[in-house]
Amino acid sequence: MWRIFKDLLKHNGEFRAGALLISIVVAMAALSFISPYAPDVSYVVAPDVPPNASNWLGTTSRGQDVFWQLTFAIRNTLLFGLLVALLSRLVALMVGLLAGYCGGWVDRVLMSVNDTFNVIPLFPLLILFYFVLRDRMSTPLLAVLMASLGWAYDARLIRSIAMSLKSREFTATGIFSGMTAREILLEQHLPYIMPIVFSTALNNMNWSIGLQVTLAVLGFMDIETPTIGSMIYWANQHTAIVAGIWWWIAFPVALVVMTFVGLFLLAVSMNEYIDPRSRLAGMEGASQ
Amino acid sequence: MNTAVLQVEDLRAYFRTRYFGVKREVRAVDGVTFEVRADEIYGLAGESSSGKTTLVKAIAGLVKPPLQLVDGAARFSFLPGVRTLATASPDVVRAVRWSRLSYIMQGSMSVLNPLRRIRSTFDDFARDHIAGSAAEFERAVLSHLGKVRLDSSVLDAYPHELSGGMRQRVTIALATICNPQFVIADEPTTALDVIVQREVLGMIRQLQQEIGSSVLFVTHDLGVHAALTDRLGIMYGGRLVEEAPTAQLLREPRHPYTRHLIASLPRIGTQERRDGLPGGPPNLADPATGCRFHPRCPIAMDVCRTVAPDLRPSGDDHRVACHAEGAGP
Repeated sequence: MWRIFKDLLKHNGEFRAGALLISIVVAMAALSFISPYAPDVSYVVAPDVPPNASNWLGTTSRGQDVFWQLTFAIRNTLLFGLLVALLSRLVALMVGLLAGYCGGWVDRVLMSVNDTFNVIPLFPLLILFYFVLRDRMSTPLLAVLMASLGWAYDARLIRSIAMSLKSREFTATGIFSGMTAREILLEQHLPYIMPIVFSTALNNMNWSIGLQVTLAVLGFMDIETPTIGSMIYWANQHTAIVAGIWWWIAFPVALVVMTFVGLFLLAVSMNEYIDPRSRLAGMEGASQ
Repeated sequence: MNTAVLQVEDLRAYFRTRYFGVKREVRAVDGVTFEVRADEIYGLAGESSSGKTTLVKAIAGLVKPPLQLVDGAARFSFLPGVRTLATASPDVVRAVRWSRLSYIMQGSMSVLNPLRRIRSTFDDFARDHIAGSAAEFERAVLSHLGKVRLDSSVLDAYPHELSGGMRQRVTIALATICNPQFVIADEPTTALDVIVQREVLGMIRQLQQEIGSSVLFVTHDLGVHAALTDRLGIMYGGRLVEEAPTAQLLREPRHPYTRHLIASLPRIGTQERRDGLPGGPPNLADPATGCRFHPRCPIAMDVCRTVAPDLRPSGDDHRVACHAEGAGP
């Protein structure tokens, strides 16, 4: 694992760039633990101060330091993305592996549920959830909601791989030797599927963070918890752009764009690593 | 030494499908009777789509739709009272598979999961069937690998790090680690070149003698049969057409199909052209009436078109299914 990481870092430009961006973002999130200000108190610094030596990224109209506020915001946003990715991977893995391996009516039932989730219009549904839940809508709850809506595409992908694995000789031999379905799935098939799970997890994080920022900017979610989206929401509420407080809105946007680009680059380079054909094409000495 | 370990009686296994109301039936194995005796290697030969693989699948109990076991029995001596493995209870099947009966599958180069080390593969397939601690299991695996002349470094390798012959030997070790009484080997050496093939065949023979098991060996390659098997059965169109001790069968084949099969083998030193038989393998979804070989048979008689010949004894330990042979119909 560590060797793969080092190889990728050495030979893959996209991975290098992605890893750099994501480590900046993660370092930023880690700084929240040594923040001098609590995230939910306002008027702790002078409001509307442009970036300077003591307030590196300036301060907001609510009297908060943009830099330290941003560390909390990116931490919550990243955790949200991770939680959605983790939960939805669990569902996608279970549905995909079972549907692909069992086939027959199990496959048909699971895939009709899967396809239903694929065609549900997400955004209106999430807004609907907000209007029903209102104040009870919290970031963890939104994460669970989005995880239960965001597994279907990848479950289908995993199913297709599981179907091909099912027809391989080692599966037949495993069955013949008396391995249970659980053992075959966990020991024989899972190693094949993990790299794809990893790569789709990164894309899934991008998707969920993007949707969460959209919802928060429009005010359709819990805006009291500092996230990138809610920071932009409050900046808009205080007409930061019109008032010339550009730093309140520019830095959160820049940081979330860094996150998007970083995760995307990592996912792309992972994909390239997983697919042996593109790995061969990128080998040293191969004609480019 | 002549007790039968496996007795197959009138085994019939058909592929049956029904799509959109159209029923199709492919009679891949249609009434096969033979036995495999203790301590022998029984060979099955026949062209592609003659039903060899379906037959061994039916014997091993690997019957899954669309394949259906229609009739007949495949009795193992170590399972008294069980008609076929396919109809036996799962507990019975679990108790004998791998430990008493093992199966080297067709395309056995891909039996090894490319993402698992050889050690894990042994663990996955054989650990449950061997009692004792993990250390004892490892010792057993190592000593068994020694029998196929592989050392302990293989255990930590991935399949792609081994050569084709080594992989084949690992597969054979994997199938025989529990000292099974019966081994089914479906084209285990087809993917190897002749030199490695010879080495692997020698190993199969040696292991078979050490363990004292019976082997059902399937391949279309008559050269392999000549080198390895004790007795040989020839399949055509889902039926056994001839059976005899291998050397005898190759020396004096009695069924016209077998005669042509053997005549088509090239021999060192001859220059003459080999004649093929006109026509192709029979369509098993719509087999010919009577003897399935009659449309291609050079000596076909009227009776061949209507009556299917039984496999009848014809001389010493020799059985043929042909109307032109022996007493006639």
